[in-house]
Amino acid sequence: MGLFDSLLGRSRPVPSKIEGLFAMATAQVTLETQLGLKAGETAGICFRAVESNYFDKASSELDGLLQISAKETGTNYQTKTDEFGYRWILVSDPQFENLVATIHIVSQTLKENGFGDQLLAAVFRFTTSSGKPIYWIYNYKRGKFYPFVPEGNTRKRDNSIELRLSSTMDHELPMEKELERWYALWGIPF
Amino acid sequence: MGQTVSKMARWGRDTQLSVRMFIVMFLLAAVYLAFIAVLAAYGVRFVPLAVMAVGLLLVQYFMSDKIALWSMGAHEVSPQEAPELHAVIDRLAASIDLPKPRVAIADTPMPNAFATGRSPKNAVVAVTTGIMQRLDPQELEAVLAHELSHIRNRDVMVMTLASFFAMVAQLMMRWMFWGSMFGGMGDRGGDRRDGGGGGAMILIYLASILVWIISFFLIRALSRYRELAADRGAAIITGAPSHLMSALMKISGVMNRIPDRDLREVQQMNAFFIVPAIHADSFTGLLSTHPSLETRLERLRSLSREMEGL
Repeated sequence: MGLFDSLLGRSRPVPSKIEGLFAMATAQVTLETQLGLKAGETAGICFRAVESNYFDKASSELDGLLQISAKETGTNYQTKTDEFGYRWILVSDPQFENLVATIHIVSQTLKENGFGDQLLAAVFRFTTSSGKPIYWIYNYKRGKFYPFVPEGNTRKRDNSIELRLSSTMDHELPMEKELERWYALWGIPF
Repeated sequence: MGQTVSKMARWGRDTQLSVRMFIVMFLLAAVYLAFIAVLAAYGVRFVPLAVMAVGLLLVQYFMSDKIALWSMGAHEVSPQEAPELHAVIDRLAASIDLPKPRVAIADTPMPNAFATGRSPKNAVVAVTTGIMQRLDPQELEAVLAHELSHIRNRDVMVMTLASFFAMVAQLMMRWMFWGSMFGGMGDRGGDRRDGGGGGAMILIYLASILVWIISFFLIRALSRYRELAADRGAAIITGAPSHLMSALMKISGVMNRIPDRDLREVQQMNAFFIVPAIHADSFTGLLSTHPSLETRLERLRSLSREMEGL
């Protein structure tokens, strides 16, 4: 938001950037071979609902559209609402490249249909050899990735793994440099 | 994907609010310029005053977070101490591309929240334990979104700048007052003048008072507009004007008056539900830093109608 908008107190939603998502497809190879992480078969998109009949109409039509495209590509698709009231679109595919592509297509569809401002994050899940989940969060507003490693069910993050992951993957992913923008995302439903 | 889906409602701008804010800022600037012109015309040495005012403002500007936290008795909390609060703020900040602000809690039953800090990077959001107990999570989220809007709109900076010359005028009044008390109207005081006598002195004194009074009202108006802008921002961030509306009603105690018991059951008690008409009296309206509840609710209602495409 520009200074003039700030001065006049004009709040505007922040548009989303989706191009950065593709970097995940190549980064997965490094993550698996060098860091020994296993890519999950499910990825998700988190966005916020709007109190408006337009939103309700658009989101139910979108549902239909996504189901059709999911059938075409053979990816599984479901929606969920989390404890914070945000909506999730979860897609599953055993092929990681397909997963990335589907996440990109769904993001694009959401964006084209006016949900772009509502998009919060895309989330890719990996697991360590000991079964600990590691999430890569794509922040749509910044167009950047950052790691998010929750510790069990406590609301604590394993910052040392996160920092190690981010420095290792620095060249492969558009990485969020500002640590105060590594927003936590609790309650990821997969 | 060939098909298209019904388009989402777009967020319109509140042009009226922006225009009002612009006019108020313009008037403030005009008053201040006139003040400088008067000071210059009478040869008042403006520089030392300005330096002092800048000094005070810088202190206020750089210490704003500490001063506010201290005066509210709030202490910063880590994500481990207040996980839910941090979780909600993380998501809100991410959705409007704001660096994560620090989070503080004040241990008081009074429901309140505030945001402070000179820039988004130095911002703090504070809530009282009272507001956390009284509001449900969605309402609390709306209140936090309102505070984040203040940070995003850089309200601390705007209001500090807006009150700069008001502070100069106030300093001037004080200096002259004390000057006249101890030093008489002579030239022994801080403001040496080239010409003019007691008459000019009185004129400058009156000009200072006038500037101070006018800017006081303008600054209050600006503050009210910025509250409305933050309300609007909160509604846009959360996508739900209704959450903020119910939060505002709850905080101001109106919600308690909406009966949730069956009508037949409470028939005998009906007398207790008679709500006194809340009327913002026009003069206190001009003095207050916040718009009246009715104004805020009406603005949110109209935003909500806009979103529904009505």
